[in-house]
Formats: sequence, structure tokens, C-alpha cells
Amino acid sequence: MVLLFVVPLVFSLVTIIPSFFDVQALQALLQHPQFWGGIALSLFTGIISTAAALYLATIVAKSASSATARDAGFFIALPHLALAVGITFLIVPTGIVARLIAIVFTGWTEPPQIITAQDPWGLSLIASLVLKETPFLVWAMLSIMNRQDVKPLLAQHEKVGKSLGHGARSIWYRVLLPQILPRLVWPIIAVFAHGMTVVDMALVIGPTQPPTLAVVIWRDLNDGEIITNARGAAGVLMLAAAIAVIIAASWLVLRATCQLRVLYLTAGPSAERHSFNTGAKLWQILRVIYLAVFLILLLQSISGHWPFPHLAAQQFTLKAWQTLFTDNAPLLTTLCHAAAASLLALLLSLTWLESQPANRDNILLFICGASLCLPALLLGLAQYRLYLHLGLTGTHTALFFAHLLPTTAYVFIMLQGPYRDFDPRWSSASNGLRISSLQFLLRVKLPMLKSVVWSATAVGFSVATAQFVSAQLASSGRHATLAMEAVSLTSGGNRALIAVYALALMALPMLAFFLGAILGKPRWSTA
Amino acid sequence: MLRLSKITISLHQRPLILDLSLEIAAGEIVTIMGPSGSGKSSLLSYIGGDLASSFTATGDITLHEQLLNTIPAEQRAIGRLFQDDLLFPHMTVAENLLFAVPRLAKAERLHMMKTALLRAELEGYENRAPHTLSGGQRARVSLMRTLLAKPNAILLDEPFSKLDSELRQTIRNYTFNHIKTRNIPALMVTHDEADVPLGGRVVHLQNDGSLRHV
Repeated sequence: MVLLFVVPLVFSLVTIIPSFFDVQALQALLQHPQFWGGIALSLFTGIISTAAALYLATIVAKSASSATARDAGFFIALPHLALAVGITFLIVPTGIVARLIAIVFTGWTEPPQIITAQDPWGLSLIASLVLKETPFLVWAMLSIMNRQDVKPLLAQHEKVGKSLGHGARSIWYRVLLPQILPRLVWPIIAVFAHGMTVVDMALVIGPTQPPTLAVVIWRDLNDGEIITNARGAAGVLMLAAAIAVIIAASWLVLRATCQLRVLYLTAGPSAERHSFNTGAKLWQILRVIYLAVFLILLLQSISGHWPFPHLAAQQFTLKAWQTLFTDNAPLLTTLCHAAAASLLALLLSLTWLESQPANRDNILLFICGASLCLPALLLGLAQYRLYLHLGLTGTHTALFFAHLLPTTAYVFIMLQGPYRDFDPRWSSASNGLRISSLQFLLRVKLPMLKSVVWSATAVGFSVATAQFVSAQLASSGRHATLAMEAVSLTSGGNRALIAVYALALMALPMLAFFLGAILGKPRWSTA
Repeated sequence: MLRLSKITISLHQRPLILDLSLEIAAGEIVTIMGPSGSGKSSLLSYIGGDLASSFTATGDITLHEQLLNTIPAEQRAIGRLFQDDLLFPHMTVAENLLFAVPRLAKAERLHMMKTALLRAELEGYENRAPHTLSGGQRARVSLMRTLLAKPNAILLDEPFSKLDSELRQTIRNYTFNHIKTRNIPALMVTHDEADVPLGGRVVHLQNDGSLRHV
């Protein structure tokens, strides 16, 4: 199983590193007219979106309830691409927001001549990233705070803080958050790397003249020309290097400001009177936006001709939905690959957990974590080169492995903790009953762990449906999935069809979670 | 003077503490003893102002003639000591102490911290991380941190139960001496007879929630 990850990673190092010394490709990259603008935009969108999402997540997490954790888990499952499409439909000059403004305030009869989505600064891309990553960071923070070994300690620290005269806000920022953030380093790095290298979202809602560097590279990588392709590979490394530099720089800044932070930590109790529900309000806003995205996609998917500034289309039609089911290759491809990948990922993870001693888990956890933190473009390119070498590009096999890799990483990470926490006394007790170890696994252990087993599989499934970069490269455009089809549709003008694909992308993970919840439901509640 | 009048605490309609009234003078340490689950800790949480919302509680808490019932926990000026030392792991010893020192001029704050360190017999330990200290050292820092916040009363929730038996007596004496020097009322709950300070008043909590004074 380690090989599954190590082979592409090592292969990528062996094949891609030399292209960094490919002076020609590097020169070509530096002379690319969109290089400097692109990298500036990538840095801008990546840094700002990560910082904003982290800031908002800390505010939300400080007044989080159990409902927040549930919502966050749900929002994470929605694919980036569907969110970007929905936000585009909301904010474009012919979108619903402009129509509302036209009718209520201004009386515009034509769409306003302003650029909203795909704005040159990448602000709409940043907004989409923040909307998508805030729930992820909230979820990551809450899962740290709710750990059985952490939760009671934090509760007691809160009590002590209060008895020493500190208010809730002061305790959050001085006592609790500084203990949570160090454990959040990897999720933050993953968010940053994703923000810097995101392709699908940037193609839909990102700037165009120039686009972010990830998109510049993406075009090069999809080019048949060997020289252009090499330029793209150099770009991937350049982007990875930029990410590494920024992470190193942030670390240095954190070290240099250590004294400042101590000054803040030790400022002593203050007589603050602070209303403490900004986080709840913020979360409410987030929920409204997600709901608006869903509704506009639904409305758009059944709308025919829809002149400005009317609030509803002149006719409604199910034509776009019919297209989804008649030209059903992308739907079936996605369904089959995601189901197969998530089930095999489950099987692989269970095999590892049953056959390997627990102390080897850390190696695999590290590799899985690393593959999630590495830029998707880098891994995608590495896999592409590997498949090319094996003559597999464009086959279902290559497409399947492109889905299996990230899916397995997620499933294993989700499964490992609860699986290893399983009380060994159950096994000892069952040994006394003389049942075989296989029977113990099938009849005792898995039924007891079925809730986490199926929810991990559902997460794996939703991760698989959202794959774009590596899947597109692996299949070389021969077998389209929903995500690929949705991206290529966005360059056309059929809004109803785009909305249908975005909704289908949202529906699949939701179905998986629903199914996972049913399969994982305990026989009876013991609480 | 800390005065508790007619305090009743119940969980799911079952009274844990029934009609408890108690007066603790400045400098006095009163001990409440009772079996586990008898609501001793809930009483301290109610006085401290952080009783979980699943409990219902009535009765007045008065400190220095001020009614505390509606005042938020952080403004009650009631110090707490728990079973664990609860030093913040992300702060050094000095930072843990400074966390509790009121906002004054910097030099004065540092002076207060240094004095506390001296009293904890830990001169020169400013920059040590809490986990590098021994159990007894941590317990002393924890007490000093509580006292630095200048509490008007102090609540002790089985503060010695996790210390090993050799250390217990030393830390007990150390704690009681410092509390007495401050001349503030103190309320301790424990289930260990040996914790009771010499000549101190003891209240036994019965299973039905009523009290038996000794």
C-alpha cells in the first residue's frame, strides 16, 4: 500500500526534477508573457484566501455548537467546482444579484458594464476559496477540540482562565487558540497549497488576462507540443518552490514575532464586556450563501430564455436534465470510478490496519498527509508522466488510479484513529469464545465500527467525484468525468447545462453521505 | 466573608445539595466532605459561576456583602484550585504567572511575578516549560498563579488528590499557610480526612443532600 503512494511520488522526483534544470524550459517559462502577472496573482489569491479563511474559521470555532460541526462536514463534501459555478451565476452582471439591484434600486434595463466574476484582481476567486476553505478549517479545528484527550483539558483551562479574571474572548485568543493552532499546521498548509494551485475553480471564476499561474501551467500541460509541455512542467516546479518559500517565510515571521506574541499572551486580565456571537452570525451568513448557490443552480438548470432584468425565465424546460441522462457517459464514468475507488480504498485501508502493527501507521499517515498537502498539479503531472511511461494514458486504468490515490489518502486518514482506538479487550473477550479472527473482524469489530467505516468511504467517494487535474491528465480527455465536462462547458454559454452538471457534482457526494449514514446507523441508540 | 444562603442544586430534578447555608470568615478554611457524586464539585462550580447548564441551582452567594449570583465568573474575583495544576502548556512558568497579574505598569507586574516565583521557591525557573517541572513545583506555581489574580475568596476542589503521599503533606501546609496569610475565606472539598487543616471546620454532605456540621 505504501508503494501505491511512493511509486508515483518517487517517479515524479526522478522525472520532474531534471526538468527544473531544463534551462530552455525555464527560460521559456520566464519569458512567457503571462508568467509574472500569473505568479503575482497566484501569490495574491493564495495568501489572502488562506489568511482570510483562517481568520474567519477562528471566529466561527470560538462560538461553535454541535450544529456547526455538522454543517461544516456537509459543506466540505460539496465540490469546489459546483460552488464556483453557483457563485458565478449569482454575481455576474446578468446574474440574480444584478437583476435584484436593477429591479429594486436602479431600474437598469441592460446588465451593468462591470466585471464581477473573473475580475482581474482575482477577488471573486478569493471569495470562492474563502467560502470553501473556511468550513474545512472550522471542521479541522473542531475535530481537534473535540478529541477525547483534548476536550476536557480545554474546558478546565477555560474555567481556570475565568477564575483568574479573563473574559471569554481573552481566554479564546490567549489560552485555547494557541494550543489548537500548532496542531492545525498541516490543514493550513493544505489550504494554502490548494489556493495557490487550484485549477478548476480558477478556470471558472478566476481572472483571465492574465490568469493565475496554475491556469497558465494547466494550458501548457494540456498542449501536445513537447516544448510547451516542458514549460508547463517547469511551471509546476516553480509554483511548488513558491509555496515552499512562502511557508518558510511565514515560519521565519512567526519566529521573529515570538516576543510580540508573549507580550500579548501575558497582558493580564482585562475588564472586557464583549458580545460573543460574531461567529454564530458569520456562520449564518455562510449557510445563506451556500443555500443561495444551491437555489440559483436549481433555478438556472430549468431555465430557458431568461432576458435581463426579469427575475424568472420566460420558459422552463427540463432539456438540460435530459441531456445529463441521455449523454450519460460522464455521469456513469464518475459514478463507476468514484464507487470503485472509494471501495478499493476502504479495502486497502482495512487490509493495512489489520495486517500492520500500529507503530507503522505514522509512515503511511505522513505519506497520505503529504500527498494532500502537495500541489495537485505536481502530483497530477507526476502521475501523468508515470502513465505515459507505462503506455496507460487515456485508459480507464490510468483514470482509475488517478482517482484511487487521493481517495485512499482521505479514507486511511479518517479510518486510522478510530480503528486503532478500538478497545483490544473486545478481541480478548472474543478469543475466549473461540471464534476465528476473521469471524471476529466480520461479526464484531466491523459492525461496531460501521459508522466510521461508512462515513470514511463516503468521504472517499466525494473526494473522488471532485478530482479534476490528475484525472484530466490521466485520461487525456478520452474519458470525461462530470468535473471535466463541467469545466469544459463553462467556456461555452449553455448555462442550464452547466448548472445541471454542477448540481450533479453536488448530488453525488450528498447521496454517498446519505447512503453512508444509513449503512452506518447503529441498531439502537445507547446514549 | 463568604456567605452561602439556602443553596439548592439539582440535576434532572434530583437534588444533590439541599438548602445549604454556610458562612466562611476571612482567613478561615472550611472543608466539605462527602462521597463522590454528592455534588461537592457542583457546589464549587455554582459559587465560581461556571455550573453547567444541565444543573438547576438556587440560593444566594454573597462575598464582602456583594451578591454574586448574576455576576459573570471572570468578574467574581474567586480563585480556584483543581485536582490538576492546569498550568497552560504553551506558556513558560513566568508567562503562566503574568497571565494572572492585573494590568498595571510593566515594572510592577514583573516585580509581582518575581515575588511569586520566590515564594514558590522557584527562583530562576522563569523560562522553564511547565512539563519540565516536578509535580510539587507545578502545584506551587499553580497556587501562586491563583493568588496573583488577587482573589477575594478561594475554592479548592480536591487539590491534593493527585499528588503522591510524600508530597501531599508539604503542599498542604504550603497551600494553607499562603491562603491564611492572604486573610481570605476558603472553601475546600475533599474525600480525604487527612486534607482537613488542623482545627478547621468540617461539613459533611449526606447522600440526601443535607448537611451535618462537625
